[in-house]
Amino acid sequence: MIIEIGYFAVIIALMVSIAGILTPLIGLKTGNPAWIRAGRQAVTANFILLSLGCGTLIYSFLSHDFSVKYVAMNSNSRLPVFYTVSALWGGHEGSLLFWAWILAAFAALAAWLHWKTHPATMPYLLIIESSLTAGFLALIVFLSSPFERVFPVPAEGMDLNPLLQDPGMVFHPPFLYLGYVGFSIPFSFALAALLSGRLGEEWIRATHRWTLFSWIMLTFGILMGGYWAYYELGWGGYWAWDPVENASFMPWLVGTAFLHSVMVQEKRKMFKVWNLFLIIVTFSLSLLGTFLVRSGILSSVHAFANDPGRGVYILIFMSTVLILSFGILIIRSNRLKGKIEMDSIVSRESAFLFNNLFFLIATATVFLGTLYPLLVDTLYGTKLTVGAPYYNKVFLPIVLVILILMGIAPMIAWRKASKENIRKNFLIPAVIAMAGAVISAILGIRQIYPLAAAAIVCFVAATIVIDLYKNSSYWADHSGTNLLKGLYKAWYHNQRRYGGLVTHVGVLVMILGIIGSSAYKLEKTIILKPGDEFTLGHYSYKFQGLQDVQGINWQGVESLFNVYEGNYFVAEMRPQKRFYTGGSQMPTTEAAIQPRHMGDLYLSMTDITQDGWITVMAFQNPLIHWIWYGGGIMGLGVVLILFKRKRRES
Amino acid sequence: MKGWHVATIVVILGIIGLFYAGLGRDPRSIPSVLVGKEAPVFSGPDVQSGEILALDAYKGKVIVLNFWASWCQECRLEHQNLLAIHRQFRNYPDFVMLGIDYQDQPGDAIVFLNSFGSTYPHVRDIKGTIAIDYGVYGVPETFVIDSHGMIRFKYVGPIVGPVYTQITDQIIRPLLEGKELQR
Repeated sequence: MIIEIGYFAVIIALMVSIAGILTPLIGLKTGNPAWIRAGRQAVTANFILLSLGCGTLIYSFLSHDFSVKYVAMNSNSRLPVFYTVSALWGGHEGSLLFWAWILAAFAALAAWLHWKTHPATMPYLLIIESSLTAGFLALIVFLSSPFERVFPVPAEGMDLNPLLQDPGMVFHPPFLYLGYVGFSIPFSFALAALLSGRLGEEWIRATHRWTLFSWIMLTFGILMGGYWAYYELGWGGYWAWDPVENASFMPWLVGTAFLHSVMVQEKRKMFKVWNLFLIIVTFSLSLLGTFLVRSGILSSVHAFANDPGRGVYILIFMSTVLILSFGILIIRSNRLKGKIEMDSIVSRESAFLFNNLFFLIATATVFLGTLYPLLVDTLYGTKLTVGAPYYNKVFLPIVLVILILMGIAPMIAWRKASKENIRKNFLIPAVIAMAGAVISAILGIRQIYPLAAAAIVCFVAATIVIDLYKNSSYWADHSGTNLLKGLYKAWYHNQRRYGGLVTHVGVLVMILGIIGSSAYKLEKTIILKPGDEFTLGHYSYKFQGLQDVQGINWQGVESLFNVYEGNYFVAEMRPQKRFYTGGSQMPTTEAAIQPRHMGDLYLSMTDITQDGWITVMAFQNPLIHWIWYGGGIMGLGVVLILFKRKRRES
Repeated sequence: MKGWHVATIVVILGIIGLFYAGLGRDPRSIPSVLVGKEAPVFSGPDVQSGEILALDAYKGKVIVLNFWASWCQECRLEHQNLLAIHRQFRNYPDFVMLGIDYQDQPGDAIVFLNSFGSTYPHVRDIKGTIAIDYGVYGVPETFVIDSHGMIRFKYVGPIVGPVYTQITDQIIRPLLEGKELQR
């Protein structure tokens, strides 16, 4: 009964969202604000209705109502409560509902937040948000409803996919969705600006925080996915250039370009069409990601439901959004004439332009790599996969260029940088970069990319430190305090800049982590019997034996390893193989991870024979923690910008 | 129309076209080098009775081979469809269907077959050697062998959705009726 209430709520939400498209449209035609207000009520009502829809589904999960097909397919009575709730987004149908719910929440929030401040934008925003909601709800209601009943009622559910029974997986999808869906707000504002002809900087200022929020959520979502893959899949890595990983990475790349290029429009009123183009591409790529994941068009570790009917629907929906939004951009962009020419190639504007170009080239690289197998299959019927070697070859140089620009752009002067400006800002960092390269070489780094990256990281770090020092001492002198207080003042007077620089520091830390854990990774696969020993790097691992272990809803076997560095005992490690006792007895691998000097010792047991021999993959991933720390610092930087205090002029 | 207008339109239409063309395909139907080759022979104990079954015994028949395991979620998904395939063709004297139980505990496999139903024999492949001979990536995988002992079709993943009609109407039936397969 309860679930039917939810289903009914979602059906009504679909109708309400159609009303939400029509009423602001009538409001625009008639000029009667009451119709537009009705549009706001519609998005608000939608949020409540979809909350009800999600709520009933969660209730059905918690009460183990296996007469609901989705509940029976994605949970069972032994599933821990935590995963029972998160099973809401554990499958295709529930994920879509959850997506629609976040969309409705953001639409309502945006309508209420910007109602007074952006009245002219509002009708368009409401129409666009309601259209997107309607598109997703139609898919849910007609093609993939999580509210379907199943008869006869199974006595027990099939269980949530054991790989998803993991804290990392609980938060990975919501964060991604928050990012994807969050970009719909700047997207709507951009289209509203085009349609209403208010093409100034207003839409960019209004969506500044939405963009940052969505961007950092997407960043976290991607990182969590990587972290989950790292300790749950047992192959010792965190990123595999899998099509679905790429699908989340592409909107991130273009979103990052957008995040930067809006600054140029704010400061210099340039790049107007460009910014509109970027945000439309960002959101389109978010939809494309959903399409790739949900249609099963590409072969991926994330191969979810493979249903051509849904695929066709999502394709039609995505095509409509693409054609309409780019169509509007093309038709309306003639009104925008770039009034200001670039003064000089050596300027901050052009550094930003190059930043944008390289981000787009990076996106194109990933895009081609992701779709190339599909293209070849369609044209020639040949199957192939594009793997890490392609990306490493093409993507790495682009990243290095972007990193150099990350050092230059925040420091170089607007309009035209004088020789003096360049010398003052970049001479010392350039020297430090050289020194960094030499020291790295002495320390034993010989590969070209890590060496170049180390030099560039030194360069960028130096620009940031010097900038912070100069500004802190300026403010310290200015107000007669010490450097630390000067730093606070500098930050206080330009929170956005310093928040941005902190985020850059996060990127640097992450890059070091990526270099360390990829270029200096050690790995070994071996077969052992109890009592055997092997060494990897400075560490020796002694296999003590196997023992049985048990969890709430799984049984397993773990192998005991004693790890030594020389004669010094480091730790005991216990990689596991688990068999979930629920519907699926799919074996999962639980890697044993021992943090050591900012890196990890990593053991993953892939096979056990009946005579007690085991196959173990051992990895040593230096500096890998820096990737996660880097993500944290990036988040901190964004928080510093988002929670900008209103400055009181004294 | 400016240059970037044309470029944008071409790229978007290209992407949509590519996706449309790609939707009809299944990224998981991996062409196997084994297709067109002679099926590797094997023998092994029957999961339920324990007596030895050998592929040789079915010479001259059209054989559907399905690799599965009790721990495999997708195998549950396709199981009813496999039984339906067997129902559909069991009256043809030249039709044989064999399950290959891949790296499984015998007890679990029997429980699986008892609870989901079983109308055709299953061979145990405890060490995975049959799977190695057939180049199996993971379960479920399904092969169709013709009356000359040649592998004519391979599918990776569960037999659900369109592939069901593909395998019954375009592969098994023509082979049983002695017609040529359309390629």
